[in-house]
Amino acid sequence: MRSFKLFALAAVICATASPALAEDKPVLDVYTYDGFASEWGPGPLLKAGFEKTCNCTIAFTTSEDAISNLRKVQLEGTATKADVVLGLDTATSGEARATGLFAPHGLTPEGLVLPWSDPEFIPFDYGYFAYVYDKAKTPNPPTSFEELIALPDSFKVVIQDPRSSTPGLGHVLWIQAAYGDRAPEIWKGLKPHVLTMTRGWSEAYGLFLDGQADMVLSYTTSPAYHAIAEQKDNYAYAPFSEGYVAQVEVAGILKSSDQPDLGKAFLAYLMTPEAQKIIPTTNWMYPVIDIGDELPAAFGTPPDKVLPIDEATLAANGRAWVDAALAALQ
Amino acid sequence: MLLSPPFNSRTLPNRPLRLFAGAAIATAIATLVVAVLYAIFTTAAGAAAQSSRVDVLHLVGMTSIQAGLTTVLSLLVGTAIAWALNRLRFPGRDLIVGLFASAIVTPGLIVAFGLLAVWGRSGWINQTALALTGHSFEVPIFGLGGILAAHVILDGAFAARILLARLDAIPERRLKTGQSLALSPWTRFRVIDWPMLASSLPGLAAIIFLLAFTSFPIVLLLGGGPANQTLEVAIYAAVRLDFDLQGAVTLALVQIGICSSIILAAAAFAPVSASTGASAPPRWRDHGLTRALQWAVLAFGIVGFAMPLVAILIDGIGPGIADVMSRASFWRALGTSLAIGTGSALLTLTLALGVGLGRAATRAPLLRISIGAPAYAYLAVPAVVLSLGAFLLVRNAGLLPETAAPVVVLCANALLSLPFALATLAPPLDAIAEKRGRLIRSLGLTGWQQFRAVEWPLIGRDIGVVLALSFCFSLGDLGVIALFGTEDFATLPLLMYRALGAYRSNDAAAIAALMLVLTITAFVLLPKLVGKLTDA
Repeated sequence: MRSFKLFALAAVICATASPALAEDKPVLDVYTYDGFASEWGPGPLLKAGFEKTCNCTIAFTTSEDAISNLRKVQLEGTATKADVVLGLDTATSGEARATGLFAPHGLTPEGLVLPWSDPEFIPFDYGYFAYVYDKAKTPNPPTSFEELIALPDSFKVVIQDPRSSTPGLGHVLWIQAAYGDRAPEIWKGLKPHVLTMTRGWSEAYGLFLDGQADMVLSYTTSPAYHAIAEQKDNYAYAPFSEGYVAQVEVAGILKSSDQPDLGKAFLAYLMTPEAQKIIPTTNWMYPVIDIGDELPAAFGTPPDKVLPIDEATLAANGRAWVDAALAALQ
Repeated sequence: MLLSPPFNSRTLPNRPLRLFAGAAIATAIATLVVAVLYAIFTTAAGAAAQSSRVDVLHLVGMTSIQAGLTTVLSLLVGTAIAWALNRLRFPGRDLIVGLFASAIVTPGLIVAFGLLAVWGRSGWINQTALALTGHSFEVPIFGLGGILAAHVILDGAFAARILLARLDAIPERRLKTGQSLALSPWTRFRVIDWPMLASSLPGLAAIIFLLAFTSFPIVLLLGGGPANQTLEVAIYAAVRLDFDLQGAVTLALVQIGICSSIILAAAAFAPVSASTGASAPPRWRDHGLTRALQWAVLAFGIVGFAMPLVAILIDGIGPGIADVMSRASFWRALGTSLAIGTGSALLTLTLALGVGLGRAATRAPLLRISIGAPAYAYLAVPAVVLSLGAFLLVRNAGLLPETAAPVVVLCANALLSLPFALATLAPPLDAIAEKRGRLIRSLGLTGWQQFRAVEWPLIGRDIGVVLALSFCFSLGDLGVIALFGTEDFATLPLLMYRALGAYRSNDAAAIAALMLVLTITAFVLLPKLVGKLTDA
């Protein structure tokens, strides 16, 4: 039996051993979320693009989502091998900053379409949380949370659990930013319309595409995927008059990094036109600089009414907002 | 009475090595669990305790009701289907049995989506109703009903498979006697079938309860909102959202405490199995109404259980499948999945045999429980706690996570399959020890001879089931790999989840269908193959 086990172990290890890295080149260890580094995400193309000029190798280490990367770095502390953490967003970067593990990037981003002054994190793409619907099935979508609430209970939406999902948390912030103290009331009103609250975005979007619900909480950029990759123009996002909350995805360098200069170069590369051209049709988010015609028309223009979320207020109240939302849905 | 079966312990052969091996495995697993919790606890010790926002009592109450209902329904349905399948012979029976068995090892998410494809708003039933009557026939699939339905599909079908194996192992002699006495169908069930089933039910009940108690993605997907939750969700939130490790460990201890009491109760109340035998079932059919009932149960089973799986196959097998299969990443993931599946199947079998043989070698209730209970550890420890703890252990040992990943994934998968393997193997091993212990002793067989000449031929089919179960479990498991992932180390379920996360729901459906085909194949072939090996 023992030899069986050894054989099995050897087989597994051989089958999964990563290709040996070229020994003479420095390695930039990037922690990111699984979807980013997967073959369909921007990871492979960005890696190839950066490696052309950096004389280095990028090694992605993935977790199921960005917040898990942060937890991993927190657990590993200064002993972490990670140089760069990529994929945190504006709802979590405050918490990341508070850990004191991140170093100032020392870059002065230029030509960004977003106002930006964060000393530790640079943005590499962004989007807005929105409800996506099928134009063929729902000719007249609600145009505000209050309109949505007023619809018959048979009009269903799928949302994500704010405790396990980034859009789920974004949804809580969105309602909070739009309605302030009235947020619990909105959540109460939403309750009969919530078909279910899934663990992650993938399941929710899958339910929606399967026709189980009329709308799904996703991004303003989601319809662009269907238009570009599937040539389907029947998906759109519901234009909500309250305005939208942005999710800006960011990257930062760790203080403990043994490759700070490479990390800085990689962050700068992420904001170049070359890298930004890759993002829209792989991560399905808006680029952070103006890339002109390189942005497919299907992305349209980002919504102009943006609701601000203050980092300090979020840090102080985020947990209470989530609890209030969950309590209202109970 | 159940605690101390009426027999003479001197009839058992003296097998100190078996006892030692069983105890060693049990100790190793228990140590691992303690080490995992301790690693998290020491890491958390520095952090300030956060006020818990979890209403533990409410959660435990809700979860227990859901898990209790799941258990009762699954066992009822499982027994009925096993009974019908044991009596009926028809072309394609093996395939149906394989399909039923596949449910439990299929990732819960896939089953949930299959369920919706049949019963959901744009599912087959509703579409047919709309086309025929112009009215929609919406089943309230979201909420407690949906959770129960998905759980019963997963667990009830598993129960049916295990119980069917017990019924198929009723010795021919006994059936012939029963037939010559012209027992009524009910008396036949009570006198011949029930003693075989009874030994498996407590173990099965414990497994199903624990699975339902700790269920996560299904509960969130079909739960319809935060009203339906489990402790597991709260623990996940404590780690992920709050980074409140102390809170997570506390909640995990609550969950482990509850689960352990279930495990211990099951271990204490499990009667020793009736005899087991490799039988070629004689044609003893029931007639008339009973037979009609058996066909009805089978039809219900196929509609309820097989349809969601068939829906997955139909959804997935389309033009997209060629595209998926033309990708190098698919074949890499398939290779990784097959390697992990094979490795963990062999590891699981080794562990299950070690524990099962050790447990059967003694009649001391306490010793039996201490050897058997730790095997259920994986079901009691929350997945996020286990993967976090494993991650910390690997790090504290100074190993690189990606180096350790294959070993950790292999061990985790083996631990995941172990309860199921033990539920399959322990009853027949106990039965052999009880019925043939005296003979083995009087012949003076060594432990190896006992295994080779007596046990191996009798449990061949069960070994096949264990291999298929653990192989497929590892094929479908998503759990631990998440924290250890590198882009080079992907399994089929991870690939599927990636596709779903990249808007590619058609690719995800294709991968799900391919995984299901692989699973069903394994379940149809492996028990037969091993059965042939042991007969030879």
